Amino acid sequence: MGAAPASRDVTSYGMGLAAPLALFFLLFFVAPLLQLFWLSLHNDTAGLHWGLGQYLHFLTDPFSLGVLGSTLLLGAEVTAVCLVLGFPIAWLYQRVGPKLQTIIILIVLLPLLTSVVVRTFAWIVILGRQGIINATLQSLGIIDTPLKLLYTQFGVVIALAQVQMPLMTLPLITALGRIDPNLDDASCSLGAGSWRTFFRVVLPLSLPGLIAGCTLTYAAAITAFITQSLIGGGQMLFMPMYLYQQASTLQNWPFAAAISIIFLLAVLAVVSVFTTLGRMSRGYGGA
Amino acid sequence: MIMNRRSLLTTALTLGAMKAFPGLSYAQARPLVFATFTGSWEEAHKAVLVPAFRKANADAAMVLDPMLSVDQIAKVNAAKANPPIDVMLHDPGPALVAIGQDLVEPYPVEKSAYYKDLITEAQEPMGPAPFFQVVGLTYNPEAVKTPPTSWADLWKPEFKGRVGITNLNSTLGTGWLVEIAKMRGGSEANVDPGFKALEELKPNLAAVAANPGALATLFQQGQIDISPGNFNAIQILKARGVPVEFVAPKEGAIAFKTTIHIVKNSPNRELAFKLIEAALTPEVQTTLMNPPYLIVPTNSKVTMGGEIARVLAKDTAELKQKFVFQDWKKINEQRSAWIERFNREIKI
Repeated sequence: MGAAPASRDVTSYGMGLAAPLALFFLLFFVAPLLQLFWLSLHNDTAGLHWGLGQYLHFLTDPFSLGVLGSTLLLGAEVTAVCLVLGFPIAWLYQRVGPKLQTIIILIVLLPLLTSVVVRTFAWIVILGRQGIINATLQSLGIIDTPLKLLYTQFGVVIALAQVQMPLMTLPLITALGRIDPNLDDASCSLGAGSWRTFFRVVLPLSLPGLIAGCTLTYAAAITAFITQSLIGGGQMLFMPMYLYQQASTLQNWPFAAAISIIFLLAVLAVVSVFTTLGRMSRGYGGA
Repeated sequence: MIMNRRSLLTTALTLGAMKAFPGLSYAQARPLVFATFTGSWEEAHKAVLVPAFRKANADAAMVLDPMLSVDQIAKVNAAKANPPIDVMLHDPGPALVAIGQDLVEPYPVEKSAYYKDLITEAQEPMGPAPFFQVVGLTYNPEAVKTPPTSWADLWKPEFKGRVGITNLNSTLGTGWLVEIAKMRGGSEANVDPGFKALEELKPNLAAVAANPGALATLFQQGQIDISPGNFNAIQILKARGVPVEFVAPKEGAIAFKTTIHIVKNSPNRELAFKLIEAALTPEVQTTLMNPPYLIVPTNSKVTMGGEIARVLAKDTAELKQKFVFQDWKKINEQRSAWIERFNREIKI
């Protein structure tokens, strides 16, 4: 064993501590990803002929591009719903007493404590033809025939928004908690109204949490295979189901691999837009 | 210093790895591995087939490793020389894929005591069919007062917005489409009439489920009242009190052979053969035919009884007459094109 260096820079940390995790990622994430990429560069299902055929097939096929587009749009819709519904909860959390805070946190966390499958089945019961919503509306005489809620885009967005809500609310609660409450009072005492205070002070300062929440919700919503297929049904095709179909039913692994890579790149693009917004917001928040 | 920190760590990691992946240290001598399907299949095999096999083979060690057909194929493909599975179970589509990829051995027919007793359709030299899956019409008797009798009933105007189907990912969905095509003059090679019929079915469609399991739950929710359905899946729902009934349509119920195969290069070839023999015995098949399993037997020596005799067939002769078998070799050729077409055309 070599002798320890006489003096150490106490402000820097060795990268060695991160090595086990890095090794783990290298073995179980990077290596399979490279294998996936390698597979996607083959034109035949047996993986013998090299070529970009799978990518060309996807990118020149309006149907496939439509699936990609509708998946990315679904993510945007779910994120927007989560943001609009989640922000007030997070805001409220910072302004109530400790007892209510515990209740709010419990309500926010509760969905995370049950399995996604269970939560999704609950939504089938709520949205079904004889479900809670239709039964209530019918008994109130508002509608005659049941509304079609299950197996619609609307149903998928609502169910996903509920399922993914904690991913939005928790970062927002943290971000809002870091804002000095005195800033509100300062803004008010300087003559700003509540709305102005919100838009000029609270919102900019909460942006890091907001962007983190959006990124998490977005990524979770577009990849939510179970909820998408159970609430959306077999005829609403999103990327995860498309992938599954190609890989599992059709055994067309190179095309499935190409779909994964394209999907991954599309998601990375969206996430990097969020990150750029986050970086810009730092400048804005400081102004 | 004999042992420094680094060598200690290495030793610890190695020991840990051996603990975590015991396969590393003894890859050769392993028990017989049977990859059955998940869910009710696993339950039935655990309760009936495994005990019967162990009783007949001096308590030989065996493991059930339930997984989907496609996963079985992928796993065996990844280690052809030393496969981690000895016995595979397949639906007709994947069975042909496994045979085509040279993953299974021919069944030693001449050694088998039961093979010759199987119904002709179940005698597959690359792996016999110990069970049939049967697809017919499923309906909610509370909402549908006159029981349906034909696939054509799904198109009746009274079922507007009440019909459920599955997409073509499943054997059920694909087999059903072929049957509809046949009803309208098509065949396994030409499903155009089937797609035309689907187009006309759209006003009646309430749901296109992602898989047969999801379809079954829609009856519970009152989302659909009638659909093509798997006999076994319906019996499970019925046992739980859901109002559903199964009828074999007059065109014939679609029968899928569930075939069982010895994996090529299996280190437990002899035991694998014994397990399959156990699955073919009249005793095991009779037990599996009775509640709660209600699995359709393929051994002609089994006397049909209970619900199967009531709704499907009283004996082998009637079974042959009422069941429709499909040519999955032809179906597999074009299945990916159909799935693509279904993706594009069926939007409700």
